[in-house]
Amino acid sequence: MRPVSEVIDIHGAQLSRRGFLAGGGALVVALEVLPDGAQAAAPNTTLNPAMLSSWIEIGADNTVLIRTGKSDFGQGSIYTAYRQIVAEELDIPFEAITRVVSADTDRTPDGGGTFGFLGDVNGNGMPNLRKVAAYARQALLELAAQRLGVARDQLSVADGVVSGGGKRIRYGELVKDQNLKLTIPIRGQIEGFMGLAVEGNPPMKPVASYKVIGKSFKNSAIVSKVTAKELWVTNVKLPGMLHARMVHPATLGSTLVSVGAFDKAKFPNTQVIVKGNLVGVVAPDEWEAIQAARQVAAATKWSDWKGLPGQANLFRHLRSEADWKSARVNKGAANKGDAASAMAAAAKKFSASYELPYMKHAPIGPTMALADVQPDGMVTVHTHTQNAQQLRVQIALMLGITADKVIVRTYAGAGHYGRSNGGNAGGEDEAVILSKELGRPVRVQWMRADDMQWSTQSPAAYSDIRIGLDAGGRIAAYQANHHMPAGQDDRPIGAVLAGLPTQRPPGDKDRPASGNTLYDEWVYDGILNSEERGHSTWQIGQLDSPLAAGLRDHAMRTPGQYQQNFPRELALSEAAALAGADAIQFRIDHAKEERLKSVLARLRQESGWETRPAPNPRAASAGEMRGQGVSVMLRSGTYWACACQIAVTPATGALAVEKITVVVEPGIVVNPQQLKRQVEGGILMGVSEALYEEVAFDESGVTARDWQSYPILKMADMPEVKVVLVHRPEVGSYGGGSEAANALASPAIAAALFDATGKPVRRLPLRPSYVKGLLQA
Amino acid sequence: MAAITVNGAQREVQSPVDTPLLYVLRNELDVTSPQFGCGLAQCGACSVLLDGREVRACVTPVSMALGKEVTTIEGLPARWARQKKLPPAEAEKTLHPVQTAWIEEQTPLCGFCQNGMMIKATELLEKTPSPTDAEIKAAFTTSGPSAHLCRCGSYAAILEAVRLASALMMKSGNT
Repeated sequence: MRPVSEVIDIHGAQLSRRGFLAGGGALVVALEVLPDGAQAAAPNTTLNPAMLSSWIEIGADNTVLIRTGKSDFGQGSIYTAYRQIVAEELDIPFEAITRVVSADTDRTPDGGGTFGFLGDVNGNGMPNLRKVAAYARQALLELAAQRLGVARDQLSVADGVVSGGGKRIRYGELVKDQNLKLTIPIRGQIEGFMGLAVEGNPPMKPVASYKVIGKSFKNSAIVSKVTAKELWVTNVKLPGMLHARMVHPATLGSTLVSVGAFDKAKFPNTQVIVKGNLVGVVAPDEWEAIQAARQVAAATKWSDWKGLPGQANLFRHLRSEADWKSARVNKGAANKGDAASAMAAAAKKFSASYELPYMKHAPIGPTMALADVQPDGMVTVHTHTQNAQQLRVQIALMLGITADKVIVRTYAGAGHYGRSNGGNAGGEDEAVILSKELGRPVRVQWMRADDMQWSTQSPAAYSDIRIGLDAGGRIAAYQANHHMPAGQDDRPIGAVLAGLPTQRPPGDKDRPASGNTLYDEWVYDGILNSEERGHSTWQIGQLDSPLAAGLRDHAMRTPGQYQQNFPRELALSEAAALAGADAIQFRIDHAKEERLKSVLARLRQESGWETRPAPNPRAASAGEMRGQGVSVMLRSGTYWACACQIAVTPATGALAVEKITVVVEPGIVVNPQQLKRQVEGGILMGVSEALYEEVAFDESGVTARDWQSYPILKMADMPEVKVVLVHRPEVGSYGGGSEAANALASPAIAAALFDATGKPVRRLPLRPSYVKGLLQA
Repeated sequence: MAAITVNGAQREVQSPVDTPLLYVLRNELDVTSPQFGCGLAQCGACSVLLDGREVRACVTPVSMALGKEVTTIEGLPARWARQKKLPPAEAEKTLHPVQTAWIEEQTPLCGFCQNGMMIKATELLEKTPSPTDAEIKAAFTTSGPSAHLCRCGSYAAILEAVRLASALMMKSGNT
């Protein structure tokens, strides 16, 4: 061994050689703070420093391992796009990346949430691993130049082999028997919501020379899932593990009066654990725990509470009782001109108010976690989370310990579409509380009703839209006031029930959080006067509930933007009708961005669109009314346009979506097959939301408890789905693809219902009873 | 003590016979592909084949499986090998065409429901080797105690995967 021999500057990163290893060797792309960098990790991190420092390992055998703080929730990105991006920047084959380590707090470097896989919210196509790989490539070139005695600019790389000056060397040989360390600049907090971000601007491979990006590589996790080899979180077992079922309060504001008894002869190994208002029923056998919990639940007494407005009064409550004045009003970044004056002078005016219900994330498997609290105070949580580092902080806060005492391990599980992007999805904290109490590993599995009634939901919202047209039928003024209760309650509910410390709820007693920013990126640059505002209030029931619970809200796929894009796009379609214009052409005429105009023009070609104003001039035939609708969105750097054709049966109010076409232009398409599947899934989730989804609740709590009381789309009711991927390498970056599609379906379907019937649609879902009511109005 | 046949092997069961099959498979026999989704026979995440017929393991007491054959996706390759009388060497490396199709079409998103989807597809294709799209949709919607639900919206991918599985099975039948 020899001491540090040299430090080389690599575009702001530093490469050091710290002596030779006896065997093996790897280029460890390390996470270290440069002198002017931000804090890498809280001082109490549990991460093994040697492991913390690793994002990418290139082995002497030419295989590569990558690590990411994000997890997989069905996007497949960490197994496909991330491999492709790293392989591309390193110039290695996709197959050389043999291992992906993700989202375990002790084994991944960057933290952050499982969202924005391909870059930040602006869709900059710059995930951490891309920059890390780019730095690594430069370091490898530097090493090769030294080893081969060939100038760097004479070297080229293909398939992990560096060549130049008639010589060649594989990456594996470069790193063999060396202890090399590349230190790269980062900023942020590993335990923050966004985690760490890699800084600097290492040279990136030119898009024109891409070989791996753009191909449909398959998702390795799909093979293990289809062949029953996947270790799902539900399948994790620990020695001595106990099964628990929770007995949650009778209402969202009930406190415990008395715990029910159970038949000890019938359930000999059952224990009931009570902590504040938290009641858990625990047994070594899962079926015993389930049956005993049913008995305990039936006999447990809770105080009554009726602090919610009830579903029928929701929008009356939001409009006339909720406090929208105390929170700061957010203004759209794209607001311009003088919308009020232009509105006053408009030749024709349109104004409408749109309402969106609460919706559930509704994972197909209810949330589940296995916790192991050891006598020495170490806590390990095995679960399925979108933000493991945040969950770790929440558990530590709850127990009053430092985060270095908590490890979160993440496994495959049922997707829950944003519910845990701030850490918990439900059950993790309860498993920890019970395990600590019992000194054994405890597995908490929520039942279907727990998941419907005690999880967070996507917040209800209403928006008032006004559009003024000039004499030529162009939009002269656009005004939108979006109202939505706080949308990101990250408190673990078990900790709340147990009276243990949690982070604060959104807002405080005197002032609601101003969470309703303008999520829906403005795309109609051709409108000269536009003014959008976002209004916020407390979560319903939050202040009144003795549990401080109420209807807790949380981000759900395309959060906030769903609630704002639906009214905007539906209003645009209605304004087009008022102007006597075709809804696609009307949008093109108010856009300046060429990418948006292109996706709309392509949509018109691909969707079977009839260019004409709405409503459909053809009378209903054979007892059916038919219509078409369109919607657009810009999200995370991707332009989306969607069109649908529907049929309405007036006698029943049944709405059948017959075909949906989506044009997706993210700039660079990283993996066509994976993107197509993501978009299809998003669209069908969106059809489900548009047609069926609405959380039923009364004055006490959520009354939906299963798939009959919260119905979702079934296969027989799916439309034909056509996905058109537009690859535009000249854009130079890749935008996101896992969100947006679900939000596009709703305004397109609602606009199609307007087109079919001539009746203005003002809310979701479009269940037959609502459609029938519209037709009779 | 009760005994059931799971994926071709005789298994002794200690649990009381009124225990739902799901918990016996997952916890006692370590056959973990059937997943808990609702416990109410409303979603299909726990589906298994019982003598070739799809049932919901979450509401089927183990007593109903006595003397019958339970097949889960762990047992699909062997089931196919037996049906096609494949020699052991070939059987070992052969997946069921439903699994092959599910991989080829990249069907699962989160994948939590897909165990039940593949079980339903196998049941369908064993009875109806070349189903129409309408028959496929009906199988996944109205043929069982409830529709098979996918929250991620993989229905379009499932439809394509069933078509491919059918083609693969028909092809193997002709050779």
